[in-house]
Amino acid sequence: MADKDDKRPDHDDQGKGRARGVEIHDARAPSRRNFLKSVGATSLAAATAPAWARVGYVNHDEQEPQDKRADEGEAPAKGTQRITLNVNGQAHTLDVTPNMVLLDVLRHQLALTGTKKGCDIGQCGACTVHVNGVSINSCLSLAVMHDGDEVTTVEGLGQNGKLHPIQQAFLDHDAYQCGYCTPGQMMSAVAILNDAEVASDDAAVREAMSGNICRCGAYKNILSAIQTARKNV
Amino acid sequence: MSDNIIGAAKPRIDGPLKLTGLAKYSSDNLLDDMVYAYGVFSSIASGEVTNIDLSVAQQSPGVIDIFHHDHFPQLFRTPSSMEQENKVDEERLPFEDNQVHYAGQFVALVVADSFENARAAAYKVKVDYKTSPVLANLAQAVKVNGTQLHQDSRNSRGDPEPAFQSAQHKIDFTYVTPVETHNPMEMHATVAAWSGDKLTMYDTTQGVVNARNVYAKVFGLSPDRVEVITPFLGSGFGSKLWPWPHAIAAAAAAREVGRPVQLVVPRQEMFTTTGHRPETSQRLRLATDDDGRLVSLRHESISTTSTIDQGNNPYVESCGKMTQGLYSCENLLVTHSTTGTNRGTPTSMRAPGAAPGLFALESAMDEMAIEAGLDPLEFRRRNYADSDESKGLPWSSNKLREAYDQAAEKFGWSKRNSEIGSMRDGNEIVGWGMATCNWEAIRRPCDARVSLRADGTAYASCATQDIGTGTYTIVAQAVSQVTGLPLEKIEVELGDSSYPSGPISGGSWATATALPAVAAAARKALEELKSYAVSERGAFVGAKADDLSIENGQLKSADGKTVAFAEVLKQRKLASADGEAHTGGAPTDQYAFRSFGAHFVEVRWDQGISNLRVSRVVSAIDVGRAVNTLTSRNQVEGAIVMGVGMALFEQTEYDHRNGRPVNNNYAEYLVPVHADQPEVDVILLDYPDYKFNEFGARGIGEIGITGLAAAVANAVYHATGKRIRELPITMDKLMDDVPQAQQA
Ligand code: FES
Ligand code: FES
Repeated sequence: MADKDDKRPDHDDQGKGRARGVEIHDARAPSRRNFLKSVGATSLAAATAPAWARVGYVNHDEQEPQDKRADEGEAPAKGTQRITLNVNGQAHTLDVTPNMVLLDVLRHQLALTGTKKGCDIGQCGACTVHVNGVSINSCLSLAVMHDGDEVTTVEGLGQNGKLHPIQQAFLDHDAYQCGYCTPGQMMSAVAILNDAEVASDDAAVREAMSGNICRCGAYKNILSAIQTARKNV
Repeated sequence: MSDNIIGAAKPRIDGPLKLTGLAKYSSDNLLDDMVYAYGVFSSIASGEVTNIDLSVAQQSPGVIDIFHHDHFPQLFRTPSSMEQENKVDEERLPFEDNQVHYAGQFVALVVADSFENARAAAYKVKVDYKTSPVLANLAQAVKVNGTQLHQDSRNSRGDPEPAFQSAQHKIDFTYVTPVETHNPMEMHATVAAWSGDKLTMYDTTQGVVNARNVYAKVFGLSPDRVEVITPFLGSGFGSKLWPWPHAIAAAAAAREVGRPVQLVVPRQEMFTTTGHRPETSQRLRLATDDDGRLVSLRHESISTTSTIDQGNNPYVESCGKMTQGLYSCENLLVTHSTTGTNRGTPTSMRAPGAAPGLFALESAMDEMAIEAGLDPLEFRRRNYADSDESKGLPWSSNKLREAYDQAAEKFGWSKRNSEIGSMRDGNEIVGWGMATCNWEAIRRPCDARVSLRADGTAYASCATQDIGTGTYTIVAQAVSQVTGLPLEKIEVELGDSSYPSGPISGGSWATATALPAVAAAARKALEELKSYAVSERGAFVGAKADDLSIENGQLKSADGKTVAFAEVLKQRKLASADGEAHTGGAPTDQYAFRSFGAHFVEVRWDQGISNLRVSRVVSAIDVGRAVNTLTSRNQVEGAIVMGVGMALFEQTEYDHRNGRPVNNNYAEYLVPVHADQPEVDVILLDYPDYKFNEFGARGIGEIGITGLAAAVANAVYHATGKRIRELPITMDKLMDDVPQAQQA
């Protein structure tokens, strides 16, 4: 991630244009993670998600980068809170302000722009990611609520350079046009396929997928792709 | 050559990038030193800004600058010419003055070091207004200002009035369609970066060349100082055809603050400042003789435009464009008028003109058939047009009757009981309706470049875009057809204004326009390769270039010797053989080019719980040749979904007292979701139209939405006996004794 972080503006907390920092720290010293957990913030998303949205798979490798130690003594910048996000198996320690939304942190700070913003107010599903195995709208979730959480984005779906079965099925069935809703569609689809409470018939899948709008209208092919991937997940 | 690559069902070559999150859309560009802009949008629809108080906003963390009409650089307007390819719909520049013409107009722009800080500060900008009377909708505007008739789009023949008066059967009804908002999934966005006097725009546009020319005009630059980059677009449906104020504002702000600026238009403001399909009111007068032949057809429409561009060069929703030639009728009149409202400037939305126009015409055709006692399909057959009577030209190809046959057969139309409410299934009343679809085929001039490379691959580039239609893939198919190389060995680059000039992605033009240029460039590259091959030190030294043929990525001589393209180049130590080509538009003086089709729709109406849904659609579409049947079918299926939205849900509502949109979000502006998806069966007729271009392809993006809403309305009438002439067909309109909201 270091190279991607280099793209970020160089900030300090002095004056104009200098209010925010992105820092990567060693994730093995996550003192604040437990603090937040103890007040229940991180478990909020999981607690409020419907049962059908729980995902039964985790594809993260647990390795943490050795080369990203920061000065542990350094305090978080004024007005920010230090959190650790484990995204697609990589730990990132970040200082975030209270108004930073998970979606924007993924996109702007971690440069994981595969997750899309279609409305920013929880109405379209383009921003769907998995948090601790649960699918959520990342635009509706504050970053500070996710200290210590495991986040999976579209960039983390495939393994070892191979497409995940849902990605392959979307390719084969042409289950998209512009591709903008597609990461969200696939993240929801994987969640649904892993959820025993969602029946496997077409009507049940359509119902469960209805939080993910596809303005291109590729619904027919998306359904075919999900039903095909069902056999391979 | 491989013949069957054209017309094959090939997965998209850009698919893996889209599926892994690596495809870069405009707002995915995070440039070094980049800052963020967030708009402040007018909360009134008409009046002026009297004061802007920045005292609180300026103290907000991370703020770099705040622009408004008293603090913004002097820019130039673009001539806004389609021919010069520098068109915009809203000609007024952002922050040009303190006047407010519509709710959601930019009144200030905050630039800050982060998205969060820009947004937070924008909320703290305090704007005072003086409001003026508002023209909130078509009815109000007509009452106050009347209408402006557009003579250039008037079309007439014969003498419709006496023919109408003396006819056996006649109808005279007015059909109304609301404002629809495109709502592409990707919000409009611009990342603008200056390097000296060179401007780079990562921009959400359906036309990189047009956008490049617009920015050059606006900033007074030579076009070669501007580069517009759009490798991927989260679709547009017309809303991203021509640049809007936000993009110009972002570029100006970037120049002022000396850093790249990213600006994303929030979803709410995509209902105001990035175009919409205007409201229409269309009067249809039809008359037939005893044999059910049309003797008089009049289609007179009014559409709304904005007060900014009314009287200037307003956007006209050409509702009657298809009407003038679709059916045979000696006496015809088509007119278009506009009236200005305090809404943002409207623009083309998928099948502009035809989508609302064919809702009206094809509803009226249904009413006319019933009036004349004929089956709606039979009535249309009797009025089939052998030629385009509006132009006096033969069709290049018209397989409408076969589309009727195939779709009717697959749908089971012959089993239809024409009596209203007669077809039941459990609690539901089943209604069956049909309509014709129609779209004009256009092909414009285009340039393209193709290289055959020493590593054995081919490369093609063109400054057109893939907005989800599959353009990357069909360009590769065209190269494959000429060179015999497999798709895996063909790299395609689109979406950059520095490539050879290509078409906008709109009007269903891109395929018909770009492919001939790509093929011509590929042939030129092959000619160059052959010239290398027969030259001294070449692989076929001594042979004649004309005697060499192409086979599976190899050159082959008359005596059967084959050498791979790559070998030919290596032998000469050359990187590539290159071809660049320019192809012209389709000649318009010999044939009329249109695509045709038919939709057959089943609706289900559960009166007990007042539930209406579209349950089944069978469509047969004649677009000449579908270059890629996988992506083409997807286009039609998607257009049908959007047509279902148009028929049942979509309507941008404005408060009639103050002109503000009241449902400017995805939860209240309803679009179809997975659960609304009907069973859809698309038949693609396959009659290549070689009079149009060498691939026989007329383009496919728009036609699927035309006629769909009428087919639904006609099915609803069959089920319920209620004729809904005002879209969308919401359930309250089907219930008895529900008073309809009156527009003041
Ligand atoms: S961006 Fe999160 S639901 Fe639309
Ligand atoms: S593929 Fe374009 S919105 Fe779904």
